[in-house]
Amino acid sequence: MILTGRAVGLTALGVVPALWRPSAWTVVAWLGLVLVVCVIDALRAASPRQVGLSRDVPHSVRLGEATSCTVTATNLGRRRLRGVLRDAWPPSAGAVEPVHPLQLPPGEARRLTTALRPARRGDRVAAGITVRTLGPLGLAGRQATLDVPARLRVLPAFASRRHLPSRLARLREIDGAAAVQIRGEGTEFDSLREYVIGDDVRSIDWRATARRADVVVRTWRPERDRRVMIVLDTSRTSAARIGDEPRLDASIDAALLLAALASRAGDRVEMIAFDRTVRARVAGAGGPRLMPALADAMAPLDPALVETDWPGVVAAVHERLSQRALVVLLTTSDPGVVETGLLPVAAQLTRTHQVVLASVADPVSETLRTDRGDSRALFDAAAAERAELERTAVAALLRQRGMEVVHAAPDAIAPRLADTYLALKAAGRL
Amino acid sequence: MSAQVVGDGTTARSRASRRWTGARLPVLIALVVLLTAVGIPLLQGRTSSTPLAPDNPGPSGTRALAHVLGDQGVDIRYVRSATEVADHAGPGTTLVVASSDGLTPGAVDTVLGTGADLVLLAPDAALLERATDGAVEPAGLEPTVGVARAAVCTDPDATAAGSLTSSGEGLRAPDVCFPFTGDQAAGAYAVHERADGVRVVIVDDATFTTNGAITSGGNAALALRALGKHPDAVWYLPVPEVTATPGEPAPRGGVLSLLPPASGAVGLAALLTVVMAAWWRGRRLGPVVAEDLPVVVPAAEATRGRGRLYRRGRAHGHAGAALRAGAAERMAGRLGVTRAAQPGALVEAVARATGRPAPDVSGLLYGPPPQDDQQLLTLTAQLDQLESEVYRP
Repeated sequence: MILTGRAVGLTALGVVPALWRPSAWTVVAWLGLVLVVCVIDALRAASPRQVGLSRDVPHSVRLGEATSCTVTATNLGRRRLRGVLRDAWPPSAGAVEPVHPLQLPPGEARRLTTALRPARRGDRVAAGITVRTLGPLGLAGRQATLDVPARLRVLPAFASRRHLPSRLARLREIDGAAAVQIRGEGTEFDSLREYVIGDDVRSIDWRATARRADVVVRTWRPERDRRVMIVLDTSRTSAARIGDEPRLDASIDAALLLAALASRAGDRVEMIAFDRTVRARVAGAGGPRLMPALADAMAPLDPALVETDWPGVVAAVHERLSQRALVVLLTTSDPGVVETGLLPVAAQLTRTHQVVLASVADPVSETLRTDRGDSRALFDAAAAERAELERTAVAALLRQRGMEVVHAAPDAIAPRLADTYLALKAAGRL
Repeated sequence: MSAQVVGDGTTARSRASRRWTGARLPVLIALVVLLTAVGIPLLQGRTSSTPLAPDNPGPSGTRALAHVLGDQGVDIRYVRSATEVADHAGPGTTLVVASSDGLTPGAVDTVLGTGADLVLLAPDAALLERATDGAVEPAGLEPTVGVARAAVCTDPDATAAGSLTSSGEGLRAPDVCFPFTGDQAAGAYAVHERADGVRVVIVDDATFTTNGAITSGGNAALALRALGKHPDAVWYLPVPEVTATPGEPAPRGGVLSLLPPASGAVGLAALLTVVMAAWWRGRRLGPVVAEDLPVVVPAAEATRGRGRLYRRGRAHGHAGAALRAGAAERMAGRLGVTRAAQPGALVEAVARATGRPAPDVSGLLYGPPPQDDQQLLTLTAQLDQLESEVYRP
C-alpha cells in the first residue's frame, strides 16, 4: 500500500479532535480511522497487475541523437485506473520525463512516450515499469514494478566522420579519378594509353610503343581489393580515461574512419576486438553493409580489466589472413605494456603483413610536460618527459621491426591514422 | 510491437509469503532483543544507585540490611515522599529517617505525627530538637573516620552490638552510648522515650547501615536490633523536590506545566502526521536504477605518480636528467643530429644554431645535476631558453 499527500493531510486534521478532547486516545483513534479509510481506498484502486504493458524502442541510436521509447498500457481490469506510470531507464539513457500520469477506463489502451537522449555508448537495458494506481478518494493506492524487457543499443558517435570528405578527395587524387596519373602514385598496372605532353617519360612502355605507331605510356593505379584488418585492443589499457571518455572510444572512432575510407578505396575491411578472446568480429561485410555492421559490433564493447594476449592476437590474425594485408593495431604504445606484450611477437606480424600501431595519446601528459609553474610542477614535467622518452624509444624499436607507429591525441588519432593509411596506399606498401 | 506483459506472475498470497520469508529473521531478532531488554530488569529486580537506598546494591546502598531484615520477617518499605510516609507508617511500625537532607518542616510534622517508633540516622539539629524535645543535642565534635567505639552504656541493643564505627559529629544526651575518646559525655548513639510513648533511636551517622560498612564491628547487630523491633519498617529517604505535606497537590514537573493542557495531544497528532509523511515520501516510485559505469582511470595517473615519487625522494638529479634528455632529444630532432651521435656532435650543432659558446651549451646539457628546487628551476628556465633559440627561424 502506498499513501498520498492527501492521507497525510487527513492525519494532520487530527489536531481538531485533539483540541476538542485533549487525550492521547483521541489522536490514536483518529489515526486508526484514517488508516482504515486508506486501506479501503487502496483496496478500491485498480490492480497494477491487471495492466497490459509493452515497450517499443528502436534497435539502435547514434550517440548524441535523440530517440524515444513508447510504452503501451492497456487496462485489462474492470475498474477505472487512475495513477502514474514510470518508464525507468538507467541514468545514461537520458530519459527526460520518465513519469507519466495515467487515466485508463476499462478496456482502453494508452501510448506513453519517453524521450531518450543517451549520454554514453553501449547497450542500455531498460529497468522495470512501475505502475502506481490510486483509489477513488486519492488517499492511498497500490504499486507494482513489472519487468518489461527492452534494450537500446547506442552506437559510437563517429565524430571523426567530418574528416572523411577531405580524405576521400585525397584518395581520389591518388586513385587517378582526378587528373594526375604518374608513376609512384600507385603500383598496380592499370592500362596503356597514348602519351600526352607532360607525362613522365619514364612511364613510356617501349614494347607497346614498338607494336603501335604512337608512343604509349603505362598508367598505374593504387592497389585494390587489399585486405585491411583492424584489431581493437579491449584490455585494461583501453579503460584508461583520456579527456571525458575511455581510450577505447577514441580507438573506435579511429577504426570507423579508417574502415569508411578503406571500404571506399575498394579494400576489404575486417575487424576483431580482442583481449584474452575475440570480443567482437566483423568479417565478410562489404559495401554499404560494412559501416552499420562495424558500429553495431563495436557499440557494446567495454574495456575488460585483463592483459592482452598478444600471441593470441597474432594467431587470430594469421587465422584470418593468409596473404599480405594491412593490420592496424588500435592499442597503446605505453612502454611497460608494449615491452612485455607486443614487442616479442611483433616480428611474427611484420614478417607477412604491413602493421600500423595506432595509440591514443593523453593531452594531459603534454600539459604536464610543458608546465613550469613551480618546483612541484617541474617534477611532474620531468616524469612526463621521462615517460615520453621511453615511449619514443619503444616506438623506435617497433619501427625497427617494420611497424608504423601513430601516436596522437584523441581528436587527432582518427585523421592521423587515415593519413597513414593513404600514405601507405600511395607508396604501394599495402 | 514487442510482447505484452501482464502482471509479474505473483498473487497477493505469494507476495505476502515472500515478504514474510524476507522479514521473519529481522522480526525474530527484534523480538528477542525486545524481550531481553524488557525481561532482564524484571528478573533482576529494580536497583538504583541512590546513596542509602535499600534497592542500591553498591557500597553506599543499604540493600544488604534490607535483605537480612526481610529474611528475619521484617518487611522494609522504601518511600521517598512524606505523603507515602503518612500512608504506610503508623503505631506499631518502625520509621527510619535515613537522611535529613531535603526534609521540610512539613515533612517533620508528618514524621512525628505517624506515631511510629523512629530511627533517625544523622539527623540535623532541627529534626533532633523536634523529635526529642531538646533532650538530645548535637555535640558538634570533629568527626573521626572509621574508628570503632566500644559501647559504654546500659542500653541492651548497644551492649549487644558491642562496638560501632561512626564518623558523625556526636550527640549529647543523658545516656549516650559509644562515647568519643576525647569527650566521654558525647556519643554516637542515644535512645529517647517521648512523652507519647514513641521510642526514638538516634545515630549520629548513617554510614554503619551501608553495604560497605555493615559487616564491620557491631554495626550489623545494632542496625538489625534498631530496625527489627516491629515486623513492618518504613525506610524514608527524603528527596528535596518532591517532599510535600499531605493535602497539597504534588507540584507538576518544570516548564512543561506552563503549556496549555491540549498541547500533549496536539504534539502526538503532529508526530503521527510526520510518521505518515515519512511513509508517503519514503515509498519510491519503483527501485533506483543503477548505472553500470565503466572502470576508468585517468591515463596520466602513472605519470603523476612518478612525479610524486621524484618529489618525495627529492630526486632533483633524476628530474634534471629527464628534462635535459627531453630537451636534447627535441633539439637533436630539430637540428638533424641522429640518435646514435656522440654528445659532442649535438653540442656543436646547438652551439652553431644559437651562436652560444660550446662550453656553455655543454654545461647546460651535460653539466652537474641540480641539487635543490632552486637549481632545478634555474636549469629548466635555461633549457627552455636554449630550446626556443634553436627553434627560432
